[in-house]
Amino acid sequence: MIGGIIGTDIKFLVIVGILVMLLLMVSFLVILVVHQRKKLRFQTDMQDLREQQKNQLIEAAVKSEEGERHRIAEQLHDEVGAILSSTRLHFSNIKDDSLDSGDKQLYEKSKLLLNDAIQQVRSISHNLHSTLLKEFGLNEAIRNFADKTVKSDLVTVEVNLDETYLIQNQQMDIGIYRIFQELLNNILKHAKANYIRITSECIEDLYYLRIIYNGIGLSQEQFEELRYKREGLGLKNIMNRIILLKGSILYERSDMNNSILLKIPLVKES
Amino acid sequence: MNIVLSKILDWSEVWALLIPLISLLKHKNQPEYLKPVKIYVFGSFFIFLFADIIMEFKKLWHFPYWLRTNNYLYNTHAIVQLFLFIWFFNLLNQPFLKKAKRIIPILACVFIGVNFIFFENFFERMRLSSLMLAVAAGILLFYCLQYYLYLLMDEQIRVMRKEAGFWVVTGLSIYVVINFFIFLFYEALIINNWNFAVDVWNVHNLTFIIYCIFLAIAFYDRRDNRH
Repeated sequence: MIGGIIGTDIKFLVIVGILVMLLLMVSFLVILVVHQRKKLRFQTDMQDLREQQKNQLIEAAVKSEEGERHRIAEQLHDEVGAILSSTRLHFSNIKDDSLDSGDKQLYEKSKLLLNDAIQQVRSISHNLHSTLLKEFGLNEAIRNFADKTVKSDLVTVEVNLDETYLIQNQQMDIGIYRIFQELLNNILKHAKANYIRITSECIEDLYYLRIIYNGIGLSQEQFEELRYKREGLGLKNIMNRIILLKGSILYERSDMNNSILLKIPLVKES
Repeated sequence: MNIVLSKILDWSEVWALLIPLISLLKHKNQPEYLKPVKIYVFGSFFIFLFADIIMEFKKLWHFPYWLRTNNYLYNTHAIVQLFLFIWFFNLLNQPFLKKAKRIIPILACVFIGVNFIFFENFFERMRLSSLMLAVAAGILLFYCLQYYLYLLMDEQIRVMRKEAGFWVVTGLSIYVVINFFIFLFYEALIINNWNFAVDVWNVHNLTFIIYCIFLAIAFYDRRDNRH
């Protein structure tokens, strides 16, 4: 075979052959790399789309939950509250002079319970409605909720918030407030804490809310595990709101003090 | 300077193999599909060491007559390389051109048998078996191309630089792509253009160094075990 090409320029053949083969291989590699990149870009786009859809679903769920809270709060305040207030008005018109001592005692007890019920309805309605948050801002709402919720001599609450923080975005504030409500309720329900410290700080474009408490803490692994369980609805809500706010949460558990650190990027309302 | 450089290039088939060997010794835990490549690196190191010792010292050490050639070692290397890499490609388990991949090793065996029984002498003293080396390079080139074609058609998204298989195949591709024509015309070049044959063999040596570097990367790059 080789003998047949002795007359031709073998040198030329070898060089051309090598170049053609190299070209072939380089083309293959370029096509492969371009194709893989295209596939990778497509996958990233799909992932972004799925993420976007998921966020839209979470946003819709959170919005509908917020709407429902408002509706219940308004009904409690305007209807149940109004009925209870009217009942108290009627009640106060009863002349207690005509009552004997046994009935008088019952009358006083009922009046006390009625006042309590009115107070409770108002408190629940305010919690649900977040009026305070809208009017006085996140710091005041957090302070008020902590005071109201931890009404016990057994638990010491310290609140130290960053006063430079002003309302940036009402949706963000509602989100942080709801997360805080859920976290504090969880601590009171499960941690058996007698000391809670709430601090907030704004550093550059990030808002940090830290809750330090003693008692039974939760580690990040436990939190991740619990939030996928059916009964962990509160933790799921927390996570949904965090996803929506593009933030993060870090649970730390120790023998002395446990902590929860919420980190939310500050976004000004457009 | 030229003599030093020439010596370095002449011995490149030995020292270049130390690069993947060191990488292999540093990263002993390799995936199963790299086993043939591991065997190849060790095997070819000894083959080329022996071949280069013959080349360098055949006159100095007065080797016996039958030991004064290393051509049969190049034939051995081509056959060992061919079958070990066919094994490697089979271990990659790519469901592509299965029939061809089953037939090719049989055809390769038939070709080697027929060629060395009827046409060429395996222990030829005067020249390399250009045909044997070129056919082996051609077959390996086919395997490399089908590997890339499979990657093109496969839906799975891969980060290629993290895949040991990709580095092995790319190193081998560079080696066979450049050397296919060198092997094919080497016999004729030796007869007709000796100087160019020497230069071209230096090109072969350079591609061999690149090939060894790619094998070393394949052994080193252990972040991803996929093919």
